[in-house]
Amino acid sequence: MNEKYDAIIIGAGVIGCPIAYELSKMGYKTLNVDKLHDAGEGSTAGSCAIVRAHYSTADGVAMAYEGFKYWLDWKNYLDNAEDEKGLAKYMNTGSILIKSQGHDWKKVQKNYDEVGVKYEEWDNDKIKEMVPVVDLHEFWPVKRPEDPEFFDEPTKEVEGAIFCAEGGYVNDPALSAHNIMRAAEAKGATFMFNAEVVDIRNENDKVTGITLKDGTQIDAPVVVNVGGPHSFIINKMAKGVWEGCNIKTKSLRHEVMYCPSPDGYNYLDDGYHMSDGDIGCYVRPEVGNTFLIGSEDPECDPQEWVSPDDFYAGRGGKGIDNVLTDEQWKAQCYRLGKRIPSLEVPNQPKGVVDLYDCSDDWIPVYDKSDLPGYYMAIGTSGNQYKNAPVVGRMMAELIDACEKGLDHDKEPFQYKFKYTERSTDVGFFSRKREINYNSSFSVNG
Amino acid sequence: MQIYVCVKHVPDSAVNITIIDKSHIDENVTFLLNPYDEHAVTEAVRIRDACQENSEVIVVCLGKADAENTIRSALAMGADRGLLIVSNEEHDSIETARALKAAMALKKTEKPSLIFTGKESIDAEGMQTMFRLGALFDFPVATNVTRVDIEETRAIVVSELSGGNANTYELSLPCVIGAGRGLNTPKYPTFPDIVKSRKRPVEKIAFTDLTIDSPKAGMKIIQLEALKQSRNPKEITGDPGSVAQKILSILEQEAKVV
Repeated sequence: MNEKYDAIIIGAGVIGCPIAYELSKMGYKTLNVDKLHDAGEGSTAGSCAIVRAHYSTADGVAMAYEGFKYWLDWKNYLDNAEDEKGLAKYMNTGSILIKSQGHDWKKVQKNYDEVGVKYEEWDNDKIKEMVPVVDLHEFWPVKRPEDPEFFDEPTKEVEGAIFCAEGGYVNDPALSAHNIMRAAEAKGATFMFNAEVVDIRNENDKVTGITLKDGTQIDAPVVVNVGGPHSFIINKMAKGVWEGCNIKTKSLRHEVMYCPSPDGYNYLDDGYHMSDGDIGCYVRPEVGNTFLIGSEDPECDPQEWVSPDDFYAGRGGKGIDNVLTDEQWKAQCYRLGKRIPSLEVPNQPKGVVDLYDCSDDWIPVYDKSDLPGYYMAIGTSGNQYKNAPVVGRMMAELIDACEKGLDHDKEPFQYKFKYTERSTDVGFFSRKREINYNSSFSVNG
Repeated sequence: MQIYVCVKHVPDSAVNITIIDKSHIDENVTFLLNPYDEHAVTEAVRIRDACQENSEVIVVCLGKADAENTIRSALAMGADRGLLIVSNEEHDSIETARALKAAMALKKTEKPSLIFTGKESIDAEGMQTMFRLGALFDFPVATNVTRVDIEETRAIVVSELSGGNANTYELSLPCVIGAGRGLNTPKYPTFPDIVKSRKRPVEKIAFTDLTIDSPKAGMKIIQLEALKQSRNPKEITGDPGSVAQKILSILEQEAKVV
């Protein structure tokens, strides 16, 4: 006889774990299955784990602002659950958004005002005072070092910045997922690792469970796809789900660099998270007094859509496997080198390469599906880590409401944020939506 | 003072190396300046900057056309110009040293006062080139050098030996120095350094255009095999105090590093 659960969650990353946690708190008997060996070891581990509020939509800002409150209150969020690995730490650095042509910062500011996010406007003198290493020339548009114009002398300056004191990063994203797993287990959740799903079973057009690679069948009336970069492969296993999604997901290869802070600048302790659309980069401090340099996906950079299985196995060759490339190392480090002229760029690339589970409009799909009982928290597009605890609660409530008869497609579920007490229309994240052209179509979301 | 630095374009140590055709690696990976050569370039630039007279640092490399990237890296670190000996063939250390010498001798008016190499390349780990250069030029050689003091007609160098010992040598100039890891902290370029270095020239010479005596002996790779490393991690458990004690005992008794 097959083992039975109330809900099976495919994936034990930073979104899969909180869904299990919240469903368990609501009385569901949950099982997370993950093909890796522990929680948070997939693309969660490669996340930059940045917690910042600026998004191109008011709903995006609201959710991120809500998420921030969870990270601040981490121990309580976990209901004091213990983790033998220790607890992840939220590092509040403050967050600088450079006003540039690379960001629709006026829209962000409007969203901040609408949601009630606290912020300050900084002029360039104030930025220099707070970040003495920066050169505030305008380098827009973002180019690649292969383009001779990349090296042109700038003439103008950027227009200042918007500073949010509430922002930063989580020091160990994999550990944060592990913490939530332990909290979920304390509420009765079960986790199974080294278990690869090969089939989503259904009967009478209703999901009935999953089949693992070793043939094991596990039954549940609810199956949630939180497979990260594998999400589209899992959707294709479930009858009619892929076809029923207007918004699809694919896995996008992404490189993040570690470059040492300039001599004499203690970036680790004194630095800010900074989003700088003018150079197409965001940065945050990393251990060893280094700059973690992420890319904001400027148009001139190639997008490398890959097979997640080939990527994680290191197959596919230069530029599409899981090794940093010299070209992108130079692109991201030299771009930051313009903003921080004292930054020394080593010859050997150092950093992380991982995959985004990217949706067509870089906004996630948090939704039911065309197969009753099958749900999705996918398409996180590199910008949802910070929202994970909120998404966990929102998905659990959405699943519960749908299982109790709500037709979410007709009457979209309204989720009330716990801290900011604002309501959000979960239909915003619908699989059936048209592409949202308000999106930044980048990691900025 | 003409300071030459011989550099090699090597695969990034972080990439996945794949062996193809039994004796070659798949070169569709990132290549960069050999890490030991970074110490050599940094030291050469330091010595040049400390010289009163007109001095320059010239980077020489034997490699395929894309080895220009490695020369560009060295120029960004402060070298003045580059010489790339272009060859699509593989060359052993005998031919390599002869080609490097021939390239350095192209301009009759220029004579090396000092030649740097890295103590080894991280791909072949041959540790031959500096000695072959010394033999060809009839210059003294010291390798795994961790300190260089240049005086008028001599170099005082510290050469690190195994087991933490070191010898100090006096070498007459010109000489050949194989840079070790302890020589300095490589000075990596800032963006303004990179911008400045873009105008520095890289002269390209075909290997086949150089006059090189054919060596009577040679070496070639006939088979490459991947080394399978067995890693046996151990978990150290207990309270922080006893964990620290166990780590100390491993460092003292097994690793013998403290």
